Amino acid sequence: MRLHPYTPFVLVLATALLAFLLPAPAGPMALYAAVIGAALLSGMTKTVAGGALVTLPLWAFLVLLHVVLPGGDGLAAALAQGARLGAVATASLMLLRSFNPSRFLDAASARGSSLSAAFLVVSTLEAAPRLRRRAAMILEAQRARGLRVGGSPAARLRALVPLTLPLVLGTLSDVDDRAMALEIRGFGGGNARTPLDPPATTRRDHLYRWGAVAAVVAAAAWRIA
Amino acid sequence: MSAVELRGLNFRYAAALTDALAGVTFSVDAGEICWLYGAPGAGASTLLLAAAGLAPRFTGGTIEGDVRVLGDDPRTAEGRHRLRGQIAHLGAVPDLQLSGVAENVFEEIAFGPANLRWPLDRIDAAVREAAGRLEITHLLTRSPLHLSGGEKQRVVFASLLALGPPVWLLDEADSALDAEGRGIVAELMLAERNRGAAILVAAEDADAMLGVADRVVLLDRGVIAFEGNPRELLSHDLAWERGPGGTSIAGLGRAAHARSNAARFAPPYPLGVSEAAARWR
Repeated sequence: MRLHPYTPFVLVLATALLAFLLPAPAGPMALYAAVIGAALLSGMTKTVAGGALVTLPLWAFLVLLHVVLPGGDGLAAALAQGARLGAVATASLMLLRSFNPSRFLDAASARGSSLSAAFLVVSTLEAAPRLRRRAAMILEAQRARGLRVGGSPAARLRALVPLTLPLVLGTLSDVDDRAMALEIRGFGGGNARTPLDPPATTRRDHLYRWGAVAAVVAAAAWRIA
Repeated sequence: MSAVELRGLNFRYAAALTDALAGVTFSVDAGEICWLYGAPGAGASTLLLAAAGLAPRFTGGTIEGDVRVLGDDPRTAEGRHRLRGQIAHLGAVPDLQLSGVAENVFEEIAFGPANLRWPLDRIDAAVREAAGRLEITHLLTRSPLHLSGGEKQRVVFASLLALGPPVWLLDEADSALDAEGRGIVAELMLAERNRGAAILVAAEDADAMLGVADRVVLLDRGVIAFEGNPRELLSHDLAWERGPGGTSIAGLGRAAHARSNAARFAPPYPLGVSEAAARWR
């Protein structure tokens, strides 16, 4: 049984808040471990690796800043900040990986939420895979026309220009085309829409949401006390 | 009252030195297939966007003249509201016309009807009928993003067909399709015309459109150069002089006429193989 589409958003928000509310360095590290555990239990091994990869340069920078260079706050500070970033990045990637635009729109329709706002969320979260697909197409087209993407770092950098420019310009042009296509199909005429399969809010959703809220409140109370 | 009426339509894109459309006046009736013919840059796509109420809102530029679709002006907010789901505008690139929110083809086709707040049973019936007519029922559970270009184009067609629109504005809409898909779309246009829909279709394939179009409007650099019977246009030199040419057989006839003064090669050129065989034998 899948979670209600709103529940992962609550969990990511709670993760971000807890990352900064929990006592450092043990709190953020435990939180990161919990997020990794949740991802592994959900079969998202690649997401864990992705989160680690995304934060790897930041880890290196934090170690340099706090441990190697004089005047740093030490290993504990580097661990705390790295764990915070790792927890938030991994939780966000889990959200991206499990996000289903259709279920999200259905949930917004069923609740009478703003469909324009819901579509904005969908477009934002779907932007990365769409850009990746488009970039792959442009790369293929430019290679077919003789572009060499290998070689020295300088050559690789030069090859970015004929890839980046069409990607940016094409993406801007796509926005208008897609907006036209959506309007033709009746989207944007108000907040009402027939949900095709309105997702149910299960006891598990309530448990996760209220558990996350309780954890944030408890951590905030502890912090204030 | 015509389904689509354009009166004295002028359109100029921002920073352009000339008009994309200049004084265009014509109409399309319900139950008619009107073929918009012209070389690239003639203004056919702009005309379709203006008729759909999408230009200049999404394209920029300035527009003058009168546009009416089913009696409403699609450029106004009230007109657009009344015309929701009534105009099927379809372009050549199917990827850009997918909603981007559907998990599978069923949801993609259901996207429009759901936006119009149809009840679920009506949506279900409309989706299955549209998928059946485009012969994509086997794709209903597939992700629209992982289909071939031709399959995506059929899905986009089905998505609009499910809405049962009384006005179709097609802009090279079968360019991604294979021969079988084009045949299905041609049959679909004829069926929609017989149902009473008004169809305005921009296409460059004269051979294919000859058997489908009731009337042709030839655009040349934003101006109407000819309006009337497709056979009359395609069998004379005007199709080459002001447009992209005639049918392939008529092109052969024209080439023969350029090399010989024989009366049998003179215009009107034969348009198909049987006509050519009868005349040139």
